[in-house]
Amino acid sequence: MKFSMLPKAFAQMFKKPWTNKFPAKYAPSNTTKFLENVQAGKAKIIPPVETPPGFRGKIQYDKEKCIGCQLCLKVCPSEAIEFKPEGKKIKIYLARCTFCSQCNDICPTNCLSMSNEFLLADSNLYSKDLIVE
Amino acid sequence: MSKSSTTKSTYQIPIVPIHPALKEPVFFEFELDGEKIVDVDVKLGHVHRAIEWASRKRNPVQILYLAERICGICSYCHPIAFSLAVESTADIQVPERAEYLRVIHGELERICSHILWAGVAAHEIGFDTVLYLTWQIREKALDLTEYLTGNRVTKAITMIGGVRRDITQDMIPKVQESLKYFKDNFEKLRGIFLDDKTFKMRSQNCGVLTKENALKLCAVGPTTRASGVKKDVRVDTSYFAYGDLDINYTTPDILTGEVNGDVYDRIIVRLLEVKQSIDLIEQCLDKMPAGPIVAEPKIAKLLAQLKKANGEGVGLHEAPRGEVIHYVKFDGVNEAPYTWKVRAPTYNNILPWIPMLKGQQIADIPIVAASTDPCMSCTNRVAVIKNGNRYELNKEELHRLSVEKTRRLML
Amino acid sequence: MGKTRNIGGKIMTEEKILTAEEIVNNFTDEFKIKIKDTKIKKRSAGVKKNETAYIWMKIDKSAFKDIIKYLCELQFPHLAVVSGNDLGNSIELIYHFTLNYGNRMKETILNISVELPKSNLEIESICDLIPGALITEREKQEFLGVKFVGIPDNRRLFLPEDLPEGIYPWRKDETGPDKLYRNLHEVKK
Repeated sequence: MKFSMLPKAFAQMFKKPWTNKFPAKYAPSNTTKFLENVQAGKAKIIPPVETPPGFRGKIQYDKEKCIGCQLCLKVCPSEAIEFKPEGKKIKIYLARCTFCSQCNDICPTNCLSMSNEFLLADSNLYSKDLIVE
Repeated sequence: MSKSSTTKSTYQIPIVPIHPALKEPVFFEFELDGEKIVDVDVKLGHVHRAIEWASRKRNPVQILYLAERICGICSYCHPIAFSLAVESTADIQVPERAEYLRVIHGELERICSHILWAGVAAHEIGFDTVLYLTWQIREKALDLTEYLTGNRVTKAITMIGGVRRDITQDMIPKVQESLKYFKDNFEKLRGIFLDDKTFKMRSQNCGVLTKENALKLCAVGPTTRASGVKKDVRVDTSYFAYGDLDINYTTPDILTGEVNGDVYDRIIVRLLEVKQSIDLIEQCLDKMPAGPIVAEPKIAKLLAQLKKANGEGVGLHEAPRGEVIHYVKFDGVNEAPYTWKVRAPTYNNILPWIPMLKGQQIADIPIVAASTDPCMSCTNRVAVIKNGNRYELNKEELHRLSVEKTRRLML
Repeated sequence: MGKTRNIGGKIMTEEKILTAEEIVNNFTDEFKIKIKDTKIKKRSAGVKKNETAYIWMKIDKSAFKDIIKYLCELQFPHLAVVSGNDLGNSIELIYHFTLNYGNRMKETILNISVELPKSNLEIESICDLIPGALITEREKQEFLGVKFVGIPDNRRLFLPEDLPEGIYPWRKDETGPDKLYRNLHEVKK
């Protein structure tokens, strides 16, 4: 057929667009002002698409179960885990983490797990939100 | 009246890194006579990241994640080829269920990659509507990948000796629903790419690679299959579960009956491979046996076993772009491998650019270069001299020229 | 089943599928002591356990070009890549070929390794027999310092032009790149 895209392009005008408009319908021209408006309740953030179960997001650490065996340090590809000798616990730097969850697999006591948080951007690489201990 | 002392001769264009048709930097230098290309020279090295050197102090499990970041779109085939090489060296036998699961993930990646390429090829011709349509279909494939592996791009599903996650009974309905969506939309894509007049007039007899050149220059992947050479690691060797499945070489004469080796044939080969991948995933879901998914579940024990391994091995895999080969050598003393060599498929597809581009026009450069589906990140771990003055063409200029040629042909 | 292929004007007649043992016997009969060591390894996969053969051959440097010429006449191979090992006093180059492609599950992977002493790092280029070897030979020249005699193009491929001469990144001795990198893990504690 000669111009087979024309009927499909025409039909799309009457259908709902595929894109989920996260965070707002149009990109805000001033991001800080937009966030202030959200805090004040004047604007609303459209939520992102739901993540499936098993999504590899921010790592969660159960301090009580950790025995300090240091196996997770051995398999981390980017050396994002640091061992604290006093107390025998670990400290994870999320700025270096690659979210591979290999440390979850090797841990003998299952004290590490992945949550579904992925909105982790921060201007300071070593801020409190980006260090898990 | 004095005659001019210079005669008309060729001039050279460099097309500098940040190239139009590729998403990664590469340097082309073309020698032109009017609008026709006389000679081509390629310079690489802009994304060289010393990955093989970085493997010298990491153990094999860490190297899996290093290999995954060689390239974003081929992020499954590099860890898999490395894993095959290590299993060949250390004589690790992979369980049968893991072999079938590996096929499923490999074919899913192939679907994502070929659909992305189809969109990029349409964009180079100037047909942006098709770009959005194909990438909309690709979103479903990425959603399925996220459901099965946890992330859209860096899948992290490979482990030496098997895979890390299983496809359980409750996941299968979602897989089948996605496969049905692909099958319904495949006919739509096929109609647009293969029957539409725009694609045909732009890509037929453009960028021809003869069968003799494809054999001599050791080309791999859909580039060489479109020239009639039957080379496909999945059919040639028996690895994963391909030996049990019904699979054959994809050459353009299945659809049109003749082999030309031009850009249109490459479009045909890639679309037929998408159909073949959907079929293979269905066969795997039917025939998958039950059992363990990894040879050695305790990773500390696996690392100790690999530390004692001594020897060398190669692993070959058919990536969406061609044949990937990894070579690994262990010395039995250190945990890190002694040598690791990666060869990505685009490496072998660089030399065929030279006979393909000679004789073409400048406006054809984007579509011909994009038709080999180059991935410069995998390969690396264009200055015009007109009348003596050197000037450079950038991305927007070349893309504009390509779109203008389409408009000219349509009138 | 015989097929004919036209490679560079020469018609290769009657290509039949050779098994791994036949290939090894062909080479040892023709070159006798120049083939120092051969090993065939078979790996099986899937439920039906179909096998693929891997041949590893060590050859002497003096007969290298003749062996490659013999291989091209036996059946035109597909050169996958050349990999290199730094063994202390010598450098080992391994040429990875594949044969018998085009037939279902009959492909054999042939790995030919040549050892070059570090005092004389020269070897003939095979670009006249297999033009597709140009890129991989250029890569070995700049990464390991091996000189390919007769190569058509001598320039650097991946490394930048301002990297000093004499630094070979894949070597493990004093010409390695250890002097050129800074501390990699600078983390503010």
